[in-house]
Amino acid sequence: MAQPVKLVVVSAGLGKPSSTRMLGDRLAEATGRQLLDRGVEADVHTVELRDVAVDIAHNLVTGFPPPGLRAAIETVTRADALIAVTPIFTASYSGLFKSFFDVLDNSALTGKPVLIAATGGTARHSLALEHALRPLFAYLRATVTPTSVYAATGDWGASAGAGDDLAARIARAGGELADLAAGLPRAAAAPAAEFEEVVPFAEQLAALRRG
Amino acid sequence: MATVLTVWGSPSATSRTGVVARHVAARLTADGHDVSTLAVRDLPAQALLHADFADPDLRAALARVADADALVIASPVYKAAYSGVLKTFLDVLPQFALRGKEILPVLTGGTPAHVLALDYALRPVLTSLGADHVAQGWFVHERFVSVEGAMEAEGVAPLEELADAFSARLRRPAAVA
Repeated sequence: MAQPVKLVVVSAGLGKPSSTRMLGDRLAEATGRQLLDRGVEADVHTVELRDVAVDIAHNLVTGFPPPGLRAAIETVTRADALIAVTPIFTASYSGLFKSFFDVLDNSALTGKPVLIAATGGTARHSLALEHALRPLFAYLRATVTPTSVYAATGDWGASAGAGDDLAARIARAGGELADLAAGLPRAAAAPAAEFEEVVPFAEQLAALRRG
Repeated sequence: MATVLTVWGSPSATSRTGVVARHVAARLTADGHDVSTLAVRDLPAQALLHADFADPDLRAALARVADADALVIASPVYKAAYSGVLKTFLDVLPQFALRGKEILPVLTGGTPAHVLALDYALRPVLTSLGADHVAQGWFVHERFVSVEGAMEAEGVAPLEELADAFSARLRRPAAVA
């Protein structure tokens, strides 16, 4: 088997238990399972930002990370793949989440596969993932999976099965992250056979000229 | 005359954001408004990050927001958006804390490439807090501002114009309930 993939979950959940942490755990489980399908083991670490919250505030003021925060920064910087989960407040990531990524080096996540996810009271703020989180990780030059996962309070009650959209989304996002982390190309969107029928553009142009 | 609260979200005590925020505050004061300044970094970090509403300093800060007719919201640009420090304070505000208030957003940053952070990152957050009106804001390039407090007129003149327009708006009878 290949070297295990160091998969790190960053959770900005504040509660105990926290639905944000719960979403992070489910995404890690889905990613780990699909890495195994690809013949790769996952070594999962979780960074709870709640535990280093005051360290983050002090670091921003003094410029020097206390040991707990330094360990969290190193864990994230050395990850092979990252799952970043935040509660959505005021239609965006939480201040704690943003403060942690503010203290990272600009190059800490360069090229790193990242799965972005969020929790909120209602589905109405789902687009915060695309409008706030995705640009943040684009700035940090991470490779973000096409699927992001938003879990509203109501989604947790849904039972597993055909109607469980959250479970399907978690599985799809986990698969995308597993592909990136295992270094595999993502599954082609369309079967190759579809392209065999395509007439090259130059030939189409030539046909027009003849006509 | 309106009651204006200037909130600035730089982690540093000697920040260009603070210089710019105080400059806008002084301009609004000169125009007759009752202006005070709140630096998020001065709030107790523990209470702020864990939303401890029993903390007297945090409660006082929230009361100042509630009492204001208008707010100037100032932040440095970090990672192409407003600072996490500013966001920690916005997170503890009630859901529609800015309802009925006029807002002037101001950013400082090191590259003009991040000017749009004002309209693409900060403005939606202020809108979601229920602000009645988020005025035209301004991004001040940090090369126009020294941490000692000096500012170059060329870089700050557009902000001053917007601050004056904001001030005039606050004078309209409808603006202050």
